[in-house]
Amino acid sequence: MNVAKKRFALLLSALLLISAVLSACSGNNNGGSGGSASSSPSSSSAASPSAPSGGRDVGGLSLPIAEEKLNLSLWSPIGGNFRGTNFNEKASFQKMEENTNVHIDFQHAAEGASADAFTLLMSSGSLPDMIYYERWSADAVKYGEQGALLPLEDLIEQHAPNFKKILDENPDIRGQLTTPDGHIYYMPNLILESKDLVQMFPQIRQDWLDKLNLQQPATTEDWYNVLKAFREQDPNGNGKKDEIPLVSVFLDNIVMLFAPAFGVPVGMNSPFFVEDGQVKYGPADPRFKDVVTFLNRLYSEQLLDPEYLVDTTFDTLTEKVTTDVAGAWFGWSGSYMGNFTTLMAGKHDTFKISPVLPPEGPNGDRGHVSFRWQVGDQGLAVSSQTKNPEEVVKWLDYQYSEEGILLNNFGVEGQSYDIVDGQPVFKQEVLYPTNGLTNTQELLNHTIGGGTWSTVADTRYSEQIRVANGQTENPLELYADYLEYDKKLPPVKFTSEENDIVTPLMADIQTYVTETINQMIMGRTSPDTYDQVIAQLEKMGIKEVLAQYQSAYDRFNGN
Amino acid sequence: MAMTAKTLASRPKEPTTSKKLARTWRRIAANRYLYLMLLPTMLYFLIFEYKPMYGLIIAFKDFNPYAGFWGSPWVGFEHFEKFFESYYFWRLLRNTFLISFYSLIIIFPASIVFALLLNELRSRKMKSVLQTISYLPHFISLIVICGMIIDFTKSDGIINSLLVGLGLISEPIQFLILPEWFRTLYVGSGLWQSVGWNSIIYLAALSGINPNLYEAAVVDGANRWKQLIHITLPGILPTVLILLILNIGNLLSVGWDKIILLYNPGTYETADVISTFVYRRGVMEADYSFSAAVGLFNSIINFTLLVVANAISRRTTKNSLW
Repeated sequence: MNVAKKRFALLLSALLLISAVLSACSGNNNGGSGGSASSSPSSSSAASPSAPSGGRDVGGLSLPIAEEKLNLSLWSPIGGNFRGTNFNEKASFQKMEENTNVHIDFQHAAEGASADAFTLLMSSGSLPDMIYYERWSADAVKYGEQGALLPLEDLIEQHAPNFKKILDENPDIRGQLTTPDGHIYYMPNLILESKDLVQMFPQIRQDWLDKLNLQQPATTEDWYNVLKAFREQDPNGNGKKDEIPLVSVFLDNIVMLFAPAFGVPVGMNSPFFVEDGQVKYGPADPRFKDVVTFLNRLYSEQLLDPEYLVDTTFDTLTEKVTTDVAGAWFGWSGSYMGNFTTLMAGKHDTFKISPVLPPEGPNGDRGHVSFRWQVGDQGLAVSSQTKNPEEVVKWLDYQYSEEGILLNNFGVEGQSYDIVDGQPVFKQEVLYPTNGLTNTQELLNHTIGGGTWSTVADTRYSEQIRVANGQTENPLELYADYLEYDKKLPPVKFTSEENDIVTPLMADIQTYVTETINQMIMGRTSPDTYDQVIAQLEKMGIKEVLAQYQSAYDRFNGN
Repeated sequence: MAMTAKTLASRPKEPTTSKKLARTWRRIAANRYLYLMLLPTMLYFLIFEYKPMYGLIIAFKDFNPYAGFWGSPWVGFEHFEKFFESYYFWRLLRNTFLISFYSLIIIFPASIVFALLLNELRSRKMKSVLQTISYLPHFISLIVICGMIIDFTKSDGIINSLLVGLGLISEPIQFLILPEWFRTLYVGSGLWQSVGWNSIIYLAALSGINPNLYEAAVVDGANRWKQLIHITLPGILPTVLILLILNIGNLLSVGWDKIILLYNPGTYETADVISTFVYRRGVMEADYSFSAAVGLFNSIINFTLLVVANAISRRTTKNSLW
């Protein structure tokens, strides 16, 4: 071999190496499905719509979805209560893989970092086939228009019979999901029963009330008196004034508890509401002054946890509740009330938490704002980079089939539940686990957790967990009467022009509002000067923001 | 001595460029192994420091990751203008500057004083014990440090218990919630974190001072204070100045991670700095172009400060980075 030839060979091998490295990279980008990608179009056309031999029909979707094992990738935060490392450890996903012949490569982000991790993922330019996120409702349009997400409406029409059926039967849902230019960008978590739409609610130590001979607070003034009694009359009986009457992880929750009573049905994180067809911004409403004044009164008399700005994790709340110093808070049915009850079982003689109805304000206003729409903000979107759009949509559609709904809510029959009289009933070892886990945690070994996934949440699930947690009255039914659908801002979708105006303005406004309101609650600035806050908000462009919201809202109603 | 035209003409003729190039190449070839050793460092800077700079163009664009760096539309200085007009611009600038400035004027001299004090210690054992203790916080992860700060400063934490116990205050102070305490807390904990570690470099400089100078001074009757003033301080002055210049160059880049771990809406007023603002806007809200513009602005100021500080130091003390 002469020198020239040798050089040529060297060059060639170097080129080969480079191209191999490059193709390996691009293969990774679409989630390692590179190998099967070339063969998939032919297999998919064979699989749909005429079912292949041996196939099974699930609500119009024929299983298995792929003839040869297909790998799809999915990004998702892992969830704080799940003790494993990969969702494929859950029995429901193992069964799903068996039924659909689709293997999911889960790419997990840690729970706490999920918001950062999500924006980093979306800006990396290389996406997995599917992306789970908790706030698609607000962000899907933006990422859709950037070209990161695949519009799904046509694919749903052709390949998702189960999901299409839900949309056809519930026009509201289609409206909540569709963007201004007619696209659907994600498959959402759905709750079809109105009583299940309730999310968090006020909870109070019933045994403390009983001990002090107090009634459940019915008005804001009652709340003040009850909290005052908690502070002064030593309900935990240890002789020390260590009770923290009202505990909070986020100010958001406390605002949701009291603001509706003063006529402003908002929370800090959902500050917009609708009144007489007009979209309004809670903190810019003159009535919000009363909310701030009330909270300032609670804070100054040490009825509101003085550490509420520092202790912002669920762990600190759990500690305060389980060390018997917390009197009331605003939380979920299962993960707060249920968990606390389970944790204190056998450790405390009288420990009992009760849900409280929303308080009535001085002008007779009363409402419950912590509820969601049927279409959840959370769900799975499909990346525009996927090589298998049809299979992805079919796999997603499976989640909405009767079979998929059962799997996602209850797990695998015989393992986590049995069918009793035609109804799925959790096994005792799931409801009352003996392995040291709470039932929420144990359930996560079997499913994604009560249908908080791109599926339909089953009422029978929440019912059974609630009863297992020792809650006799159904809080979800209690609050149904207080939900004001007219006042709650629906999940409006912005056009990108509207979004370009709203996002930067709201970034400064929200910083200003959280800061000022906290200062007023802590009494550093007098709540009497609230007029100046409203004037400042107008200077910062709140009217312009509201105009965009109004047009999005009007368009939503026109849908 | 002035050069006349004659002397100029009599000088040997300037070598042509090609000859000069050949000579350079010869010199490089002769020292090729030295250059080879330099290569990894140069590659490092090229790949990790210079190549990413190209991404700065997104500060002048409306960046969309799916259109790419070049596909995104140009917007000129729009993001800069938005930042300068922002409601928070002056506050961010003030907070950033003040937090760095306090850190500089407190932590920087404290490290020198600490090194001098250690140097004066006669007991070797005592010295090493003190050094070890003072280094320790440097090795603790920032997350843990901040967890400790939060625990210590709570209303039932060790600091409040101590102050109340000693009768210095009647009610616990909400250190982490009151904006007027934030800088004190930040700089104070920074002092604890870094004084021991920062003093190492001065101790090294101190050990480089010729002991003969001290002996001569003692013979001349200088006491320890005079020795400190006339030998020790001038001895470490070059090190001090170099470090001071470097520190000034970082005046507007506060450690954002510690602030993010410690601040909350109650303390934004004094705690919110440019880099935390960039974090909230850029990472949390995916407004990359805007935060790149803010970051670039920050870097330009830092760079300017560095150049100015260096120039002043060169003029006045002949010590400089370049």
